Amino acid sequence: MTPPPSPGALAELDAVGTAEAVRARRLGARDAVEAALARIAERNSALNCFTAVLADTARRDAEAVDARVARGEDPGPLAGVPFAVKNLFDVKGLTTLAGSRIHASRPPAVRDAAAVAALRRAGAVLVGALNMDEYAFGFTTENSHYGPTRNPHDRERVAGGSSGGSGAAVGAGLVPLTLGSDTNGSIRVPASLCGVFGLKPTYGRVSRGGTALFAGSFDHVGPLARSARDLAAAFDALQGLDAADPVASRRPAEPCGPELSRGIARLRFAVADGHFARGGEPGALAAVGTVAEALGARDTVTIPEAHRARAAAMIITAAEGAQLHLPDLRTRPDEFDPLTRDRFLAGALLPAAAYVAAQRFRAWYRARVAELFEGVDVILAPTTPYPAPRIGQERITVAGAEVPMRPTLGLYTQPLSFIGLPVITVPLARSSGLPLGVQLVGAPFREAFLLRAAHYLESAGVVAAPIA
Amino acid sequence: MLYAERAAAAIGLPLDPARKAAVAQQLGVMLTAAALVLEFPLPDEVEAAPVFEP
Repeated sequence: MTPPPSPGALAELDAVGTAEAVRARRLGARDAVEAALARIAERNSALNCFTAVLADTARRDAEAVDARVARGEDPGPLAGVPFAVKNLFDVKGLTTLAGSRIHASRPPAVRDAAAVAALRRAGAVLVGALNMDEYAFGFTTENSHYGPTRNPHDRERVAGGSSGGSGAAVGAGLVPLTLGSDTNGSIRVPASLCGVFGLKPTYGRVSRGGTALFAGSFDHVGPLARSARDLAAAFDALQGLDAADPVASRRPAEPCGPELSRGIARLRFAVADGHFARGGEPGALAAVGTVAEALGARDTVTIPEAHRARAAAMIITAAEGAQLHLPDLRTRPDEFDPLTRDRFLAGALLPAAAYVAAQRFRAWYRARVAELFEGVDVILAPTTPYPAPRIGQERITVAGAEVPMRPTLGLYTQPLSFIGLPVITVPLARSSGLPLGVQLVGAPFREAFLLRAAHYLESAGVVAAPIA
Repeated sequence: MLYAERAAAAIGLPLDPARKAAVAQQLGVMLTAAALVLEFPLPDEVEAAPVFEP
């Protein structure tokens, strides 16, 4: 009989490792959850990841998992895995804040978001809700209402956003698995800055049912974790049609976990040049080179008009986000976060011509990028142009130019989510102590290719997410 | 500034005088991005897909 893991070993376990131990009766789900609650109690006050900790329901849910194990029932592929979600996911009994003060007076959600319910069905145990930029309109999680989430690698620095709590909670090892949302980079940016893996699935692949939308044209939800196999396990649990999401894909689920061991043979890799090779710190571009070398990627590929795609993404985001919040912008603008308010107000004033042109451009751009994938399976690009900046920093000098710190974090992520491509960001540790991510970008519904590549890189020791 | 004021009035959005300059500045950033999109020639047959399949 293998002895149960020590608290230290328990913290190191990834989600799949935790579930394996629970399923094999080496570890009680209750013990796994208790250990996560202890880590949260010890470190969350310094990091400010959580806006709600659901200790009682988590203990109860964990005991139910243990009871299933005791009865000899299948407790699910994520049995006993403590997880937490960005506070824009509905959690039954909890008010969905979406990072705002305005929503704090709304009644509690009456049911779980589809993604939360899917992870719970798989045996995972929800332990809390996580901080974010107000209404997801930001890349730093410097939330004025609930305080900034701090980067576990350096508490004076931002965690990234808008799923900052999701990135920092995983990076600090408080929980092995979180959910975030990504409209312009909001899973990938915090994953890059906090040194963890993040998956933004294909648009429509994972239901957004029961989440607070931001810009519906390219809102996505997905997991953050410390291993590629955890992303695969979570993604497999999350896939599936949902009538509550009008853009949910009707494609049958395509489990990726079994694909991981296939390695990278016959996958074609190329490095994105042009827009994706400019405007970043040398270290961000060097990280791409490191990953390219490990994958044997010698070709380059040009994603056309990526800078214009980023501009179009900005227009659509601002217009859709502002329209969503227009009633509150009219009547209670003072209750918005000062970091989002003026942008929401401006977004409400954009001319229709700009919005429609941006949507038409999107169709054109999607077709051009689809052509590129006839010759390549995985495109490599930096995730963020620089590692975590300081909290409160307004401007940053990068590649010889001074640029606004916050919006520039989305330089490389926005042109990809704009057309719903699946992307994994993989974490590279660096001598400076601040990690950086590299994006693995695939054709729609080719998450398996990305997960295989991420798993290969991890197995080769090129990427890793050690607890910060 | 004048455009921001008129557009806000057209959709019944009150703009706090103390906030007008900051909103106009943000709108300026967005209109610069909009110009980048609007200047790009698109064939007439390109439509904004009503159902978007990535």
